[in-house]
Amino acid sequence: MFGLYLHVPFCQKKCSYCDFYSIESTEHIARFVDTLRREIDLRAAAGTGHVFTSVFFGGGTPSLLHPDEIGSITALLRGHFTFADDCEWTMECNPGTVTLERLQGYRRCGINRLSFGVQSFQTSELEFLDRIHDADQAVEAMKLAREAGFENVNMDLMFAVPGQTIDTLRDNLRRMIELNPDHISAYSLIYENGTPLYADLLKGRVKPLPEEVDAEMYHTVITTLRGAGYEQYEVSNFARPGRRCRHNLTYWHAEPYLAVGPSAHGFVGTTRYWNFRSLSAWTEHVMKGALPEANHEHLSESDLLTEHVFLHLRADGLRAAEVSARFGIDIRSKLQPDLTYWIEEGFVTDRDDTLSLTAEGYRVCDEISSKAAARLAG
Amino acid sequence: MQNYRNFCIIAHIDHGKSTLADRLLERTGRVSAREMTMNQILDDNPLEQERGITIKLHAIQMDYVDKAGKNYKLNLIDTPGHVDFSYEVSRSLSACEGALLVVDATQGVEAQTISNLFMAIEQGLEIIPVINKIDLPSAVTTIESVKQQVMDLIGCKEDDMILASAKAGIGIDEILEAVVERVPPPKGDPKAPLRALIYDSVFDAYRGVIVYVRVIDGTMREKDKILFMATGQTYELDEVGVLFMQRQRTGELSAGNVGYFTAAIRKLQDSKVGDTVTLAGNPTTQPIEGFREVKPMVFSGIYPADSDDFEDLREALGKLSLNDSAITFEPESSSALGFGFRCGFLGLLHMEIVQERLEREFNQTIVTTVPNVRYQVVTTRDEILWVDNPAQLPNPTLISEILEPYIRAQIIAPSEYVGTIMKLCMDRRGTMMGQSYLSADRVDMTFELPLAEVVFDFYDKLKSNTRGYASLDYEYADYKPGQLVRMDILLNGEQVDALSSIVHRQKAHEWGKRLCSKLRELIPRQMFEVAIQAAIGSKIIARESISAMRKNVLAKCYGGDISRKRKLIEKQKEGKKRMKQVGKVEIPQEAFHAVLSLD
Repeated sequence: MFGLYLHVPFCQKKCSYCDFYSIESTEHIARFVDTLRREIDLRAAAGTGHVFTSVFFGGGTPSLLHPDEIGSITALLRGHFTFADDCEWTMECNPGTVTLERLQGYRRCGINRLSFGVQSFQTSELEFLDRIHDADQAVEAMKLAREAGFENVNMDLMFAVPGQTIDTLRDNLRRMIELNPDHISAYSLIYENGTPLYADLLKGRVKPLPEEVDAEMYHTVITTLRGAGYEQYEVSNFARPGRRCRHNLTYWHAEPYLAVGPSAHGFVGTTRYWNFRSLSAWTEHVMKGALPEANHEHLSESDLLTEHVFLHLRADGLRAAEVSARFGIDIRSKLQPDLTYWIEEGFVTDRDDTLSLTAEGYRVCDEISSKAAARLAG
Repeated sequence: MQNYRNFCIIAHIDHGKSTLADRLLERTGRVSAREMTMNQILDDNPLEQERGITIKLHAIQMDYVDKAGKNYKLNLIDTPGHVDFSYEVSRSLSACEGALLVVDATQGVEAQTISNLFMAIEQGLEIIPVINKIDLPSAVTTIESVKQQVMDLIGCKEDDMILASAKAGIGIDEILEAVVERVPPPKGDPKAPLRALIYDSVFDAYRGVIVYVRVIDGTMREKDKILFMATGQTYELDEVGVLFMQRQRTGELSAGNVGYFTAAIRKLQDSKVGDTVTLAGNPTTQPIEGFREVKPMVFSGIYPADSDDFEDLREALGKLSLNDSAITFEPESSSALGFGFRCGFLGLLHMEIVQERLEREFNQTIVTTVPNVRYQVVTTRDEILWVDNPAQLPNPTLISEILEPYIRAQIIAPSEYVGTIMKLCMDRRGTMMGQSYLSADRVDMTFELPLAEVVFDFYDKLKSNTRGYASLDYEYADYKPGQLVRMDILLNGEQVDALSSIVHRQKAHEWGKRLCSKLRELIPRQMFEVAIQAAIGSKIIARESISAMRKNVLAKCYGGDISRKRKLIEKQKEGKKRMKQVGKVEIPQEAFHAVLSLD
């Protein structure tokens, strides 16, 4: 697998919880598209010889870009790189900014997967999250997506939102399942350092839900979505059979990906790089013909092992043969005696040569990962 | 010899001993005012300075010209200020003919002072009472009662007491005059066979052991062949001298003087405090009285936090023992903590000092177990076993009797706290042996207490229950039989050997309950419920449980999150590595001395 991530740093309105880089202004979009195209030119060499299996327009709000702008980018990409026939082309959309015409336009550019930030169907929760759309618009967006011919659509759902109850969460799940998306990303609200929500938390203006409630909600999400025929393949991700997000699996399987746009992180070979976060610094560098990298890190063998283990555990499982082939270690014996306890207590299964987290295991994934890392180091 | 004066200072912590010593050095020109800004020169170990106590003994020689213009050499011998080191105190007192008894004008006499004072009086030292800190505003109301206490205590006249303020430089000349007038010059025969008392020694990486001595009779010269009478070892003297701010080589040291020597002695343990040095070719027939082997009284397991660091810890303990002759250490192993050492200490303070030195000076990250005393176990086959690790107590069916060490504790406090102190000591299985009033409102109480009961936060309790006014001193008494049992701690059914303790049968229930509830606070939530049980044999006497953690996962992990996430996991991993695991349960290091902080 080989992925490509493009970051579009614009939003009509920033959401209080979001820590992805974006600005609340659309006046620089045209210049941004030009600059992005130049960065793609600059990075063309890094992609040669690879067959790209996924492309992901993330943000920000990529759907603020006109189909012509998206088209100019995808055409350029096709000129530089080779793409698999079944390459996944995802674009994140705000349900409040789409029209049939636009969606048809994106479809014509080659986009074949949409991701809608729906988050909730409750007005009060949407307001808390500063979302610009309402429940009806989410329903409408789904209808339009299907009408435009999209057969692979994701919806994001947020839980453990202050003010949310198990009942409103169940209602959200029911309404989302009714819309029949092919993929659902269901996140527990994170209080990310540096966001307005985090500032509210520090000032005591916002009170997170208690851990037990968060856990109960997570359990509700997992059982409801599994019951509705979605397979859980990562802590927060659920898909209809065959609809797992290939781009995200690239991250979680520690496979390589290029990244362009402000704040984007790429990973090639054993190096991870990240671009300047601010639009101005990023633009300045690209326009000078320089790679707009703020920094990079070379991962040591032990870093790579740690990432391999925790990323696979978070996602669809750690394959013992793969760890053995890649790192020359017997993962099962390394994780003893804890592995036995985890299996006994129902947190982990060991089937088909793969150690996978159960629903109970996903709930304490970080605990398992850090213990696994300690075992690998000792 | 007539112009020598050997003296020490007896004072309670904070009553101004170090400041007074500094002032004397300054007045006799031994240090300049500039050097004085470093303050409190005698305490050259940072740990000592921080704790405001002197652990190691030092001495300094000063030149003094009295009012009549006569020259004197004054040897000020410093004494340690804590009960763990009372034997060392007794030996350094033996090196003196006089002592300054320094009492804080606002605080009065404390237990530590009294026991050292009595030791000095027993050894026939001339006592010069000094009431210090008279310039403090609050002294106005307390000074008369403090003077009375001192007069009652040593039976002196009011005129015998010198009123001083070391800080303000008041009374310093009077003190120096009193030293030359009242402290008798040393007696001794410079021509008799050599008799020198070892009152301290330190290890120097280049010269080996530097031995501090008071020469009683005879003379020691460089190249002399000497004999340590207790150990039977002989050495050739390399360097002999007196102690100024630094060592000052003189080539010889005669009766009545205090100084140092080196003799290619490799280990501190070879030069025993209290031992008599004599000449191998012309030995004395009368070793100096009072020598005894110093034995550890308190024991604790010391383990490397990371089991890979066992060899490093062994090396650190080896190095540490180069300049701490009192510590003992033997390798041991624990199923919970892996490989480590059972270490013996003179007392609790000594233990804390060793633990801190290991961490600060030797960069060791260690896990320590709850301290315990050494038990004497009489088996049903009449064998006698010494047990200094509770986990090694034999099966109860094989034990006929367990004996434990007792101490005689002296506690001095304002009389309003008598009830509180009685209760505390009774709770700790103490027996009151005597009580007397030092003044109308100050009482001196003596108790016999099992040392094991004092090891756990007794001193802190005493201090907090008396708002800091009580002072404590103790000496070891003897072994007495007790109704003792081993209490084990089980986590999810598995015994944690390092948490076993030996407790009195009647206190076991209460103790078990408190320990379980403390462990419940200290052990973090785990992925599953943890049952904590206290047991005597197979009988569970207390239990607690820690509910399972509900959720520990961050929802989002995309390209930009991975590095951060890895670093977070690395950090959590370090936390995990510091935990000790017994069965499924991870135990933080603090839990192993949890009982020390039981309320």
